[in-house]
Amino acid sequence: MAEEQKKEERKKRKTATEAASKIGGMVKAAIGGTVRAKEEGKKLAYSFIVCSYDEIIRAMDIVPVWTENYAGICGAKRDAQRFLERAESLGFSRSLCTYALCGLGFDQWREELGEMPPDAPWGGQARPDMMLSSGQILCDPRNKWYQAAQQFMPDVPIYDVGLPWPMYEDDIEVSEIQDYYIAYIVAELRGLVKFLEEQTGRNMDYDRLSDLVDLGEKTWNLIWETYELRRSVPTPMGTGDAMNTMVPMVFMLGTQEGYDFFAELNRELKEKIAKGEGVVPDEKYRLLWGGGLPSWFALTDFNYFNSKGAVFPVETTYRMIEPTYRLNIPDTDDPIERLAWRWLGYWTYWFDKAKKRPGSEPDVERLIQYIEDYQIDGVVMHEAFSCRTWHLGLIWQLNQLKKIYKPIPVLVLGAGDKKSLEHRELPSLILESDIVDISSYSEVDTRARIDAFIETLESTKKSKADQQ
Amino acid sequence: MPDYLAGIDIGSTMTKVVIMDNGIISSVMGPTGPEQRRLANKVMEEALRRVNLSFKEITYLVATGYGRINVPFADKQITEITCHAKGAAHFFAEARTIIDIGGQDSKAIKIQDGRPIDFVMNDKCAAGTGRYLEVTADALGIPIEKMGPTALGAKNPAQISNICTVFAEQEVVARLAEGVPLDDLVAGILESLASRISRMVNRLKVEKELVITGGGAKNVGLVTALSEKLGCTARVPPEPLLTGAVGAALLGKDMVGKALKQGLPLEKKERSLREISLY
Repeated sequence: MAEEQKKEERKKRKTATEAASKIGGMVKAAIGGTVRAKEEGKKLAYSFIVCSYDEIIRAMDIVPVWTENYAGICGAKRDAQRFLERAESLGFSRSLCTYALCGLGFDQWREELGEMPPDAPWGGQARPDMMLSSGQILCDPRNKWYQAAQQFMPDVPIYDVGLPWPMYEDDIEVSEIQDYYIAYIVAELRGLVKFLEEQTGRNMDYDRLSDLVDLGEKTWNLIWETYELRRSVPTPMGTGDAMNTMVPMVFMLGTQEGYDFFAELNRELKEKIAKGEGVVPDEKYRLLWGGGLPSWFALTDFNYFNSKGAVFPVETTYRMIEPTYRLNIPDTDDPIERLAWRWLGYWTYWFDKAKKRPGSEPDVERLIQYIEDYQIDGVVMHEAFSCRTWHLGLIWQLNQLKKIYKPIPVLVLGAGDKKSLEHRELPSLILESDIVDISSYSEVDTRARIDAFIETLESTKKSKADQQ
Repeated sequence: MPDYLAGIDIGSTMTKVVIMDNGIISSVMGPTGPEQRRLANKVMEEALRRVNLSFKEITYLVATGYGRINVPFADKQITEITCHAKGAAHFFAEARTIIDIGGQDSKAIKIQDGRPIDFVMNDKCAAGTGRYLEVTADALGIPIEKMGPTALGAKNPAQISNICTVFAEQEVVARLAEGVPLDDLVAGILESLASRISRMVNRLKVEKELVITGGGAKNVGLVTALSEKLGCTARVPPEPLLTGAVGAALLGKDMVGKALKQGLPLEKKERSLREISLY
């Protein structure tokens, strides 16, 4: 068994970019860094990604321990089952978020032993000094995970930052509600600062925080510009790589290392575009990863798509940035306010677009924009059984898309009200598995679905060509 | 000399071979099973023997089904989705929705002009597949082919509440012991299976004509239950198990025709009629 596991580890995913191939080492170093930081007496905080307060943690010299990341690593190394099973034996349902289950199984084991569980992936997840929840509307583990973990670590305090994600209503203007939301988010973040000051015994250095927010905003803009380079045909980078490059985006925001990574990726993509180098030599189908977290243990499925000439120039998953000019951030010296505006602007940016299409929703508008901008031929989504947050809306979004991208020629109103007949059919595929729990996955079945989808793409392409 | 086109569909339970010229001239079905999958060439040999053809006389051979990979005697591999779409449209030109109920999985395919435009598959759970029928028929001690006719006589179909095949087997035995009439129990089993399949199919929004293929289509009780649940009468090909193999042969025919028309070489493989290597 141990021998088989070693073989699995050696089977690495092939990346298209040099930058993405460095991520494994960066994550390993970061996790090793948290363990060392603990030994050096620094303060560690369990944190969730896309929390809005990355720069606050950094400004307070607190070392974040990204618990979702560690569960994903256990999954990617195909070593999550023992932690999932431990959580299950503690009475947690197997239907819960498997990131949370993996983390809870790990934490309970580490606390029971008083040291890392045996052969813990990449040295293990260090014990925190505090846990920072960040509740959102759908993702309940962002509140409940750390509360459950407190059973094993009763001495570790939790601060729960409530982060609103305004529900879309087509008869409500964002400008009418934003002041209320901003005031709320600002209050939550100030509460967090107070908590961190109490925990560390130090006061926040607001000048430093301002500098880090500047760096964070600069990084968002750079990431957006870099990812937009992927519009090129052939695309120089696919979603498989983006599942790696999300690391500096969501785990290193507010650090120079994160910014430098994207500067390097930007340079590499421009070079590839200049040379006409794509993810695959003969790009046949351009696909949108339209939602769902990936199966971390099966990222080689992206290579399988590539082997069929299919590439993913864009994804909604882990594209957690917008250029700051879209976010209506007012001119303010208060970094806390800027963080609040960035958060609200990110979640409401697509609201106005949705209003222009009756019956639409912001998430659907985002998909449509990507389909058009990136010349997309088909959409792939992943229903991870344990992730309710993503799972709930995917089918609805696909059904909305099917109303627009019909398998029949449709009349489209173009510039100057000129009507033209367009063939906009857009095949879609839903993969079913999980983020961490490998027992939900069958490579044979998954690839049979991918094969059938590729055939559907091919027949659609031929049909469109015949109709031209 | 006419072109002879062959399709082989290596499913989880049965291997099906069809040889066509302008119509089906030979067809053979044999069990797949864990060991027999290797011996799919034997089924092919039998199909050839029946029409006195040699393997070399086959112009083009397409393999489909879950066992299509590594078939050394096929020119091309095409998935069941595309082959069932083609095969169903051959039998029913107006087909728009296809449900294929196989031994280990079930799938629904939306088609237009004979080509698939969307599909869903259940490959995770035996409860929506032919395996469910096998297990419950075994528990009841009746041949699987008798289930359909038996269910048609039911007056009060029993409720089968378990969604797991293994637990459903226990439930069926318990209900039998309670004295539930056999026809009501079988009808309940088929209702339960139809319910699971229709939940999957409804994701695609069923459009007429509805065609049911695969082994499940041979069960008249299941076809009736599905037709009722989906609100339209399902059509069934003359031999529903052969639909995928027929589609495979027809797709081969299209390729031959296209290559000829465009004056391009036919995409072919060095093939030999020998055992499939599983490794």
